[in-house]
Amino acid sequence: MPTTALRSRRINRRERAWGLAFVTPIALQVILFSLVPVGIAVFASFTDWNSIRDTRDFVGLDNFAEFLGDKYFWIAAGNTLYMLIPIPFYLLFGILFALGSHRRTPGSTLFRVLFLLPYVSSIVALVVLWKWIFNYQYGLVNQALAAVGIQGPDWLGDPAWIKPTIVIMIIWKMIGITSIYMLAALKNIPDVYYEAARLDGASPVRMFFQITLPLLTPSIFFLTVVGMIGSLQTFVEVQLFTSDGGREYSAATITYYIWQKAFGSGQLGLASAAAFFFALVVLVLTLVQFRLSRRWVYEGE
Amino acid sequence: MARTNTAARRTGTVVAFALMLLGALTMVLPFLWMVSTSLKESRLVFEFPPQWIPDPIDWANYLEVWDVAPLAVGLLNSVIVTVLVVTVGTFSSTMAAFAFAKLDFPHKRTIFVALLATIMIPLVVLIIPQFLVFVQLGWIDTLLPLIVPGLLGNVTMIFFLRQYMLGLASELLEAAKLDGAGYLRIYWSIFLPLCKPAIAANVIIVFMATWNDYIGPLIFTNSPENSTVQLVIASMSSYYKDQTDYPMIMTASVIAVLPVILLFTVMQRYFVESFAFSGIKG
Repeated sequence: MPTTALRSRRINRRERAWGLAFVTPIALQVILFSLVPVGIAVFASFTDWNSIRDTRDFVGLDNFAEFLGDKYFWIAAGNTLYMLIPIPFYLLFGILFALGSHRRTPGSTLFRVLFLLPYVSSIVALVVLWKWIFNYQYGLVNQALAAVGIQGPDWLGDPAWIKPTIVIMIIWKMIGITSIYMLAALKNIPDVYYEAARLDGASPVRMFFQITLPLLTPSIFFLTVVGMIGSLQTFVEVQLFTSDGGREYSAATITYYIWQKAFGSGQLGLASAAAFFFALVVLVLTLVQFRLSRRWVYEGE
Repeated sequence: MARTNTAARRTGTVVAFALMLLGALTMVLPFLWMVSTSLKESRLVFEFPPQWIPDPIDWANYLEVWDVAPLAVGLLNSVIVTVLVVTVGTFSSTMAAFAFAKLDFPHKRTIFVALLATIMIPLVVLIIPQFLVFVQLGWIDTLLPLIVPGLLGNVTMIFFLRQYMLGLASELLEAAKLDGAGYLRIYWSIFLPLCKPAIAANVIIVFMATWNDYIGPLIFTNSPENSTVQLVIASMSSYYKDQTDYPMIMTASVIAVLPVILLFTVMQRYFVESFAFSGIKG
């Protein structure tokens, strides 16, 4: 008996050692490239850290006052909210495509692969392609519009059109992956619900609104939250479509604003402060989403 | 009654098929246009109405593009970064996932929650101080900032695989322990093979994220010798903005998206399935 206890204690010690060894790489990554950076960022937020002027003095809350008083920060904030527009659209199209796939429409498997092509391709390639297709004079889109007698807008140069162009691209990119999530959710709905409804003589439309849609709400909620967090951080599209945030700063988002401050003008302190403020806003909006979700997300019996 | 039902269903299928076809065309046509443009002589690019199948088909761009931009260097750098991150990173991630799912060790919960917390931090908060850390390490304008963090693992992959391994019977572990197998062996010859489909799905995702990454190379590298393929394409595009040599840019883009699209097409089954068994409950 004592020998077994001893043996199992030795096994436990080995298990603990191996367990720790296995998680050491990721723990190192998190410490070196997340926790330490967060610490530095907290410190930087309260200094006038500037990589060009080589200053690094404590300035209290000056950074926060500076960006909150900056007209361009607020323009960027407005543009950032604008980037939420794609979410309902790709959710709607994603659900429609998932419904089509789910009822085993011929060609579904092939279509699913095709719908995911934009998602798996790099944003750089997509933007370069988009710049060509939406070219004012020779782009495919404006040529097609011209063929039916419409003068297409200057999608990329006109401050009024650059944001819609980005929005259209994001919708196009996200429909495929959204539908994959939705399809998984549809497959999880037990058939008995539909069978029971059919016995009661429910119409397909009624079944959709009474069974399918409520049971999709957890997935819709998940994708809304993830989509919101992602959309609020829109950056690459802006950086690639415009070289300076667009005419009249028309496309610049908060992340773009911060990037420009940090790596354009070297204002690391100011940029860190703005980044923290932004992270806090994203966190609050996420919590609000969770709060509101109680009203519309189906939680099961 | 039954007859009208089948008829209604058939109409439904036809409508659904038509709509899905329309959607699929919207997804694919831009890519076909990309390929089409890449096969054109410059003078044909501004033709109206547009030519979908170029006449003549001109492959010259695919030979010339290598001289026009440091595309070969970019591709090589992207291959180095991606291969290292995907292979080594997959081992680091699966080992950690195994430990979190099946082993008992001190501070397991704390470490796990810390991982969870870090993926919630917006990238923009981390990127500036990460830059400062890399400056201190002397890694700026090398490939190291793109490689080293990835070698240590990927938090999303760890979550996903931990979830997957929790679903595998713990008796496997106990039985192997009784047989005297070491933990490394149990990980390697029992749990790793059982996780193949889940690993495949994650490999695609990590491959995509690494190959397509633009922000990392943009901020941490600056000389052409250390550019990845995405950076090469981006700078080509801004360089050619006024000259509008679209066939050349489209050629480079085709080359840049091809590896990911090929990998995805071959492994799409795992990719799609992975979302099915991830069992998202919101």
